[in-house]
Amino acid sequence: MATRMKLKLKTVFVLYFMVSLLGLVYALMQLGQRCDCSEHDLPKDRTISRLRGELHRLQEQMRKSDVTKQPQKQPAKPTIFVITPTYARLVQKAELTRLSQTFLHVPQLHWIVVEDSPHKTPLVTDLLVKSGLTYTHLHMPTAKDRKLQEGDPSWLKPRGVEQRNEGLRWLREDRRAQPGGDNQQGVIYFADDDNTYSLQIFEEMRSTQRVSVWPVGLVGGMKYERPVVEGGKVVRFHTGWRPSRPFPMDMAGFAVSLKLVLANPEACFDGEAPMGFLESSFLQGLVTMDELEPKADNCSKVLVWHTRTEKPKMKREEALQAQGLGSDRAVEV
Amino acid sequence: MPKRRDIVAIVLIVLPWTLLITVWHQSTITPLLATRKGNPTAFSADGQPSGWCNRDIVEVVRTEYVYSRPPPWSDTLPTIHVVTPTYSRPVQKAELTRLANTLLHVPNLHWILVEDSQRRSTLVSRLLQETAVNYTHLNVETPRNYKVRGDTRDPRIPRGTIQRNLALRWLRESFRVNSSQPGIVYFADDDNTYSLELFEEMRSTKKVSVWPVAFVGGLRYESPKVNTLGKVYGWKTVFDPHRPFAIDMAGFAVNLRLILSKPQAYFKLRGVKGGYQESSLLKELVTLSDLEPKAANCTKVLVWHTRTEKPVLVNEGKKGFTDSNVEI
Repeated sequence: MATRMKLKLKTVFVLYFMVSLLGLVYALMQLGQRCDCSEHDLPKDRTISRLRGELHRLQEQMRKSDVTKQPQKQPAKPTIFVITPTYARLVQKAELTRLSQTFLHVPQLHWIVVEDSPHKTPLVTDLLVKSGLTYTHLHMPTAKDRKLQEGDPSWLKPRGVEQRNEGLRWLREDRRAQPGGDNQQGVIYFADDDNTYSLQIFEEMRSTQRVSVWPVGLVGGMKYERPVVEGGKVVRFHTGWRPSRPFPMDMAGFAVSLKLVLANPEACFDGEAPMGFLESSFLQGLVTMDELEPKADNCSKVLVWHTRTEKPKMKREEALQAQGLGSDRAVEV
Repeated sequence: MPKRRDIVAIVLIVLPWTLLITVWHQSTITPLLATRKGNPTAFSADGQPSGWCNRDIVEVVRTEYVYSRPPPWSDTLPTIHVVTPTYSRPVQKAELTRLANTLLHVPNLHWILVEDSQRRSTLVSRLLQETAVNYTHLNVETPRNYKVRGDTRDPRIPRGTIQRNLALRWLRESFRVNSSQPGIVYFADDDNTYSLELFEEMRSTKKVSVWPVAFVGGLRYESPKVNTLGKVYGWKTVFDPHRPFAIDMAGFAVNLRLILSKPQAYFKLRGVKGGYQESSLLKELVTLSDLEPKAANCTKVLVWHTRTEKPVLVNEGKKGFTDSNVEI
């Protein structure tokens, strides 16, 4: 009796051991898989995911109907490389958010964001990841003596110089490594994070062969500044401030072809240039006035505006912080 | 000795079963519970497993994006009616352009643009036509005695009130209370910045939902105070937190049915103290306990009350240096 019991017990043990081993393996497989998110799923999140599923389904539908309508493949569009210098301040997240919302409408756009910081900040990192754009995240701190101090007027020192140059440097390095070498299609545009861009300007600049120009609204103390075009060529510039500059225009008023930048590896922005000559310091080595390509209907339409955002008033916040009751720092603004 | 052996045997028998059951319980029971709570709607008819992770859907949406066109209209999503009062000034076109660029990403959005002007301007009309957003273009001029004099920001003069009220009236005339079309009404000023997440948060509004707004009231952000039960019980502001609704215009959204069912509710025009405009409408519609907090129980900032600087136009001079035919 005892031995039979022993035998039975042994088989039972073996059986249970095998079953538990299988269970362990199954559990380990579960761990390796992507989380099914259902434990963390609050009803609101589930609604959001349901709505997104709807959205996805509708876009699929539309894409299918589009494919049947249009004939196939168009030649690849030249990529627009947008270089945006940015720095940490209260409105930074808001500015970059609405900028990314505009860029999301532009096909073949590569956003190069260069932070004025010794290291990449989580705010910008997260924003870029969530934006859905093709991007490159760089950083380059401004030299101390060139940095604007609190209370300095914005025109006192040139801004974004190191960052734009860093963007150019990365682009040159990255493109040189690409197949096709110097024969690459692409357009480079310097877009500050507080300006306003219409979607048409990106289509206008895509066909840039060397340097193209157009009017910019709300800049230079005027409603708009623009190049004056006669016979399809730029003959002079209509600007209210120092029109004798070689290229009296704003950073937002021109785009350069990638080919030209790769062919001139020394061309960059000169931080030592006198006020207002920043754009000229870059363009002088690249092109002459009669080589400029006028866009925006022979420079008669304003498709980009040099808007500036007010610094939000923080008097109450500062008062609270003095009492140690400032708003929760963990909440990102 | 046999007793010990028996105990050991029993433990060894029971142990793997408990392990198995806990593992099985964790992985299979919770998705079952989840699907029972949620309503099986068109989503599950897709043939996608109900445990589909949010991340997958978001990534797919990104790669298949269609440019410069609003997303296709869905029959199941509530429509968001965005009411924007606007007035003519140099930055108007820029502001409306970038706002349109934002709104163009939001599905089922209806933009109600109300101009503060005697008649609809060509600038705005053309902008709306070119932008392909689903819109309604209205206009009503603020009478002179209400208009802001110069730039002085006198808070007693309500800005945009008459325009917002016109939009409310238009909504009441255009939609019947019994209509099955769900909708949300949001008052969006043309110089603020809105994240796309905000619009999805407000879509589930049943009565009035609220969330934090950055850069208002002289603070980094103002927000409603939410208790552990998920109910709003106060306002985290410095400027007059005892207002019935100490919230900015951009910080709340109202369900359309509520607007239609209370046809007397409008923004008060006269005798409104600075900062009380929002309260003048909301107190007719809802009580504090009915408010629905969004944005992760009011801990995330999804809208910024940015203000655009007035451009310095000194070089225009008296006669205007630039060609006035060029629209800016």
